[in-house]
Amino acid sequence: MAYEITLMTTIAISILFALSLNFISGFCGQISLGHAAFLGTGAYTSALMTKASIPFLITLPVSALTAGILGFVIGLTSLRVRHDFLAITTMGAGFLFVGIIRQQDFFGGEIGISGIPATGLGRIGFMSLCLALAAAFALFSILIRGSWMGFVFSSIADNEDVTRILGINASAYKLIAFVIGTATAGVAGALYAHHFRFIGPDSFGFVESISVLAMVIVGGIGSVAGIVFSAALLSVMPLLFQFIDDYKLLLYSALLFAMMRFSPDGLAGLCVRTYRKLTGARA
Amino acid sequence: MALKTTFTGLALGLSMIAGIAHADNIKIGFNVPLTGFAAADGKSALNGAELAVEQVNSAGGINGHNIELAVYDDQASPKEAVPIAQKLIEKDKVVAGISGSYSGATRASAGIYQEAKIPYVSAFAIHPDITRAGDYIFRTAFVGEVQGRAGAKLIGEMLGKKRVAIITLKNDFGKSLAAGFKEAASKFGIEIVSEYEYSIKDRQFGPIVSKVKSDKPDAIYASGYFFTAGPLVSQLRSAGVDVPIIGQEGYDSQKFIEIAGAASDGIIITTSLDRDSKSAETMAFISAYEKKAGQKTDMVAASAHTAVHVIAAALKNASGMDASALRAAIAATNLPASIGTISFNALGEVQKDVQVQVVKDGNWHHHSVISDADLLAPPNE
Amino acid sequence: MLYLELLIQGIVQGSIYALIALGLTLVYGLLRILHVAHAALFTLGGYIGVIVTNQSGSLVFAMFVAAILVGLVGMAIYKLAYEPLLNQPPFIALIASIALFIASEELFRIGFGPYGISYASQPLTGHLELFAGFRLKYAEILVIGMSIIILSILAYLSVNTRIGVAWRASVTDPSMARAFGVNIQNVRYMNFFIGSALAAIAGVLVALLNNFVEPTMGSVASYKALAIIVLGGLGNIRGTLLASMLLGVIEAFGTIYIGHLIDRDALAFGFLIIVLMIRPQGLLGVK
Repeated sequence: MAYEITLMTTIAISILFALSLNFISGFCGQISLGHAAFLGTGAYTSALMTKASIPFLITLPVSALTAGILGFVIGLTSLRVRHDFLAITTMGAGFLFVGIIRQQDFFGGEIGISGIPATGLGRIGFMSLCLALAAAFALFSILIRGSWMGFVFSSIADNEDVTRILGINASAYKLIAFVIGTATAGVAGALYAHHFRFIGPDSFGFVESISVLAMVIVGGIGSVAGIVFSAALLSVMPLLFQFIDDYKLLLYSALLFAMMRFSPDGLAGLCVRTYRKLTGARA
Repeated sequence: MALKTTFTGLALGLSMIAGIAHADNIKIGFNVPLTGFAAADGKSALNGAELAVEQVNSAGGINGHNIELAVYDDQASPKEAVPIAQKLIEKDKVVAGISGSYSGATRASAGIYQEAKIPYVSAFAIHPDITRAGDYIFRTAFVGEVQGRAGAKLIGEMLGKKRVAIITLKNDFGKSLAAGFKEAASKFGIEIVSEYEYSIKDRQFGPIVSKVKSDKPDAIYASGYFFTAGPLVSQLRSAGVDVPIIGQEGYDSQKFIEIAGAASDGIIITTSLDRDSKSAETMAFISAYEKKAGQKTDMVAASAHTAVHVIAAALKNASGMDASALRAAIAATNLPASIGTISFNALGEVQKDVQVQVVKDGNWHHHSVISDADLLAPPNE
Repeated sequence: MLYLELLIQGIVQGSIYALIALGLTLVYGLLRILHVAHAALFTLGGYIGVIVTNQSGSLVFAMFVAAILVGLVGMAIYKLAYEPLLNQPPFIALIASIALFIASEELFRIGFGPYGISYASQPLTGHLELFAGFRLKYAEILVIGMSIIILSILAYLSVNTRIGVAWRASVTDPSMARAFGVNIQNVRYMNFFIGSALAAIAGVLVALLNNFVEPTMGSVASYKALAIIVLGGLGNIRGTLLASMLLGVIEAFGTIYIGHLIDRDALAFGFLIIVLMIRPQGLLGVK
């Protein structure tokens, strides 16, 4: 069972992480290429704390706080840039994060942090916690999307200038999305650290930022259900494809490309279109 | 239709995998990077390990049973390595595991193996904390510090060079080498005149080369892998820096000589594999590897090869079939292998001599051996 | 003396950046796509350069073949990958491009092996001794010289030929250009051909400097070139050249003097973020 439990835990953490990016990129339209930095912030915060014998559950809110504070700072600077400039700025933030972690012995430098203690919840308990947190945030996302705040988010995503003309403080809402999204990523990071029990700078680099963005976009940007499904699928994909070892990444990238090429609105869009086709309904 | 074909193909693929496994083979887990940035080392490691399996089986296997590798690609990532370790232990029911991968992945899986109390041998990952995961974890490679100290002795005492510039690869490998080197430097009268770091992604070293040239050291201690060291050495030489350059096992590949070309001549490294060795195991390995892989061997392949032999020998010697008997047999290893005679200390770190190799006429050759047991003592706890 | 050497090293690196980033900024200027897979074309150029040189013995011929072949591959990428995505939000093309980049790294590994390849006998290994102890390698001279010549020719053509004017018009205002009878499609093909050919030449030159081409050769270029074109002001050619040179020089000095505090990538992106905070439109971009 341990293997299945490990997979479920991995899936739950991926879902939480992907949904946290969806809050920023999906709901609010702010594409981030550096989201792994916040996963890393949470992971390092939590790992350093539990290594200092602080109970794991206490480190969760602290991880959310540190990642959220960093998110607030990056969010503030990101207010100055838009669209592709924003994407590259967040990518830069990601590289800066890894670059700083690498040089600090306090964070374990290149060696990383190993021997992260167990949570004390047991394998099944920890998996349940991860699943519960992922489910809770999915629910929260759906609630927000239907609220006034969700409406403002999507109007910012559609056209920020019009939103501003309507007298809405778009900057404040963007910041709120940034803080909620990054704080959640911090929680996912704390879970990540105690799941794999080894973290190093390479765990939170550009590749990780890209793979989480791929989860969001393959799921269908903004679609909670689609992202839950794609995060689950993509996070275990390398393991599912083990039998074609040599061509694994090639197949992954080919599928990703095909998805963008033929169904740019992701799995969610694909499902909607297939459903309409089957029922013969017209859009 | 297309969908149906896909499913048939998938089912076919799955049944094929199931078909390969033989019930009475003894399985050894092997995680190795076959895709992604570390694929070159992964390929060598897999070739070396497969060669060892063939040798063991053609020599009669283990008490009539053949051994077999359960191979998974971990992309050198801890994230992939953890579920792979779980799967190897739980689904493949391996008796022991080998890491043919880098430090991050190895450190992460070591925890899983230790928890399940299944022996795990790191072939060439050098992270100091790997063996500290517990008493079921062993390593056939030197920790970085040991090799760094050997480098200091080589430069300060054997070559008699005192003013040294250090160029360090910025990862766990390079950093721990540098730490070991600096720790032993004063003992051999070495003065470190300057120190630079580069990232594993760098291939152009122009600025560092210019600065090192102006530092005018007597020797250069530069860590790296063949793909960084090749360009680095070639750029140092073509800028007119002609003092001795000392490297380590990361250089240890024919590919290094190919990349650095004429500049590789006279480069000296500390490593595990002696190309001119007269030992039967090493000679057999070198020629068999060339035949199998179609290219010259390297340190990574030799280390993975040795790790398989260590486990195979322990399986033969173990007093029972359970994991704790196997662990005890590995801990008691005293085995002549392709990278020298292997034994482990209390922590599970290998104890063996350091081979010093030099490039002559486009090939690695014997230079000397460092067998100073005090200097080379690996960490014990 | 050391400063001069560091400056030269920075310019060599900057020239490589310029050749790669120029193609990227051409694509961005015309299509608003962040073309990450451009870095794969740089690698492909390196592979073709080494293989053709080893077979034919001529570096010049190899460079020519690499430029033409990779230019054609670039056009195919536009036709097959980007054209169908032009009406989608830009991040769709970005992810598609990243997928293409990963796929090509894997194809290089599967096709040419994981160990990488080198020149059978490395060309241009000699050097020029300008004054005592100050050396310029032939390969470095070639890098700087090629960049200056190629970029000058392009600058000349874009101002003094019909097709150059059509191209500039299409970048500034596509619909107006179309109204004046410019065939936008042809301009796009030409754009991809030239940009990809430049990346291929950069690939051959880097292969020459390192005597090594490997499957992951483009991984740094994939993101650093993005930083450079953003730094220059997206789609701005002069800005891109300026940013390339500045970054090359900053990295050269930074590696030596603050390398122990911050690594090369973080240095580049730190600089980028500072510039963007002061000038959100990039160095030479217009709002």
